Amino acid sequence: MRAALTIEGLEVNFGGFKAVDGMTTVIDDGELRVILGPNGAGKTTLMDLISGKTATTGGKVHLFGRDITNRPEHEIARAGVGRKFQIPSIFRDLTVLQNLEVAVSHEPRVFRNLRLGMAAADRKRIDDVIELTGLDAVLDTLAGDLSHGQMQWLELGMLITQQSRVILLDEPTAGMTQAETSKTADIILRLKGTHTILVVEHDMAFVRKIAERVTVMHLGKLLAEGPMQAIEADPAVREAYLGSGGMH
Amino acid sequence: MSNRIFRLGDRAVYAAFIIIVLALPLMVDDVFWLNRIAKYLVFGMLGLAIALSWGYAGILNLGQGLFFGLGAYMIAMSLKLQSFTSLQQGSDTPIPDFMLWNAQPGAPTDLCCITPGSWLWIPFQAQWFGIVMAIVVPVVFALILGATIFRLRISGVYVAIITLALVLLARLLFIDLQPVTNGFNGLTDLGWLTVGGIEFDPFMVETYYIIAVSVCAVLLLSRWLISTRAGLILQSTRDDPNRSRYLGYDVASYQIFFFTVSAGIAGFAGMLFVIVSEFATPTYFDIAFSISMVVWAAVGGRSSLIGAALGAILINTIEASVSESETFQQAWRLIIGVVFVLVVLYMPRGLAGLARDLLARVVELSGRAGRKDARSTRTAAE
Repeated sequence: MRAALTIEGLEVNFGGFKAVDGMTTVIDDGELRVILGPNGAGKTTLMDLISGKTATTGGKVHLFGRDITNRPEHEIARAGVGRKFQIPSIFRDLTVLQNLEVAVSHEPRVFRNLRLGMAAADRKRIDDVIELTGLDAVLDTLAGDLSHGQMQWLELGMLITQQSRVILLDEPTAGMTQAETSKTADIILRLKGTHTILVVEHDMAFVRKIAERVTVMHLGKLLAEGPMQAIEADPAVREAYLGSGGMH
Repeated sequence: MSNRIFRLGDRAVYAAFIIIVLALPLMVDDVFWLNRIAKYLVFGMLGLAIALSWGYAGILNLGQGLFFGLGAYMIAMSLKLQSFTSLQQGSDTPIPDFMLWNAQPGAPTDLCCITPGSWLWIPFQAQWFGIVMAIVVPVVFALILGATIFRLRISGVYVAIITLALVLLARLLFIDLQPVTNGFNGLTDLGWLTVGGIEFDPFMVETYYIIAVSVCAVLLLSRWLISTRAGLILQSTRDDPNRSRYLGYDVASYQIFFFTVSAGIAGFAGMLFVIVSEFATPTYFDIAFSISMVVWAAVGGRSSLIGAALGAILINTIEASVSESETFQQAWRLIIGVVFVLVVLYMPRGLAGLARDLLARVVELSGRAGRKDARSTRTAAE
């Protein structure tokens, strides 16, 4: 299997505190990887380092063999990394359809985008995403007026429209109802195989539903990695979680 | 359905505006009024430029007067050299009168060295140079400023503070450089714009048409710009620049581009204003003027280009009528200040937003009435 994302000895030092400290893992092309860890384990910081939001102080990130360490955010995005934030990050004053249209990002700079209309292939891609996320009834609604769950699906839909080969999801079900969580799981499962997905999540029911391989982080380091059952039985993992209230 | 009606309504407003602006000389035969309206149209252009940067890009420029003033001074320099008095200063080449008053005793009466820095005026003897510089100088300046601000990811109130400070700095400079700019008095007693042997007297229908056609062209061009993909992406950077970045867009390039276009429009407006008003003064760099532009755009509707333009035209028309009365003139600033606060608090989308809401209401009511009609005819038939 080809590696989509290779993380090698990644480290960030915030004035003496190492939020991520020598993290190493390899995520295969088309894999769905869940990252677990108690609060402060460095999960979100790891995503910040991969997506370029925070500069690393050591280590490397390779995307399909290409070094993307410390590149500007928009370059990393163009290289194929899509990022979903904990708090839904969408364009609130644009309609749902406009949000998806913006997500078709072939050209990064302004001059090539000084044109009207859109290619048929891109329209088709947007239609597919609308079908996948079930947002067809709210296309003309301002994104800021959507329900919390719809906002999360829209953001997810934008990442798919963007054609990110690797999608980073930071707590995609935070604040969702049971039904919404279940629909989110369905969307993510449908993406498996065509997209490489990295998920940080606390909701264990959700994790059990989607997880194949799981990576556990603790104090910025890799603690354990393997199939879900093996991880749940791992004494080191239990120890780390017991220190902060146990695994729910 | 309602979207189609909004699009139609929007087009109807643009069409009506352009037709009225172009047909106005047929209805108004008083050239003094035409000249006045031409000035308001120029202010409309300024409102539009603010809407482009503030409404669509989320960049609040409190120093737009800087670009307006630069454009105004550039053309005014050319027109000053074309004026009759400049040719009468005892030299073979034109010399602005104020330079003689500011000259050191014994300085040669020539643009090269009559006052320190007077050589800057030499290329402005060609009118086309003044016209080109009126656009180029504001654009280049905005490009450098924008590139600095937006590459450093400065946003929000900090952009407002920087632009405000810069316009004040420009005001100081233009007043201080008396030997080159005539300081506080500015450039007055200008010649007329002359193109192809035609002299454009500010009180002439042809001059009105220069302004009218320019305003319509700028309006349509700006509307095209915001309806392109780049315009949509720009609006996305206003809502959430980080998301735009993670979608792979070079956010700063959009901000720099539209900030510069807005500055270019302001410079162009400055040039047109000089053509119809025949003077350029440091008051263009007053904070009050730059802030007025923001008020016009807010009242008209900052997220609508034509709304902002109409807001500017409307407020200036009202201001001109009330300034006839001494008491009102004193109170005007206060009134406009209160209006601004009320609009920001209760009508953030301005008059354009109000019009849209009214249209939506009419559509809804007529839809309901239509359904009721259909029902009652059905009942009658039964």
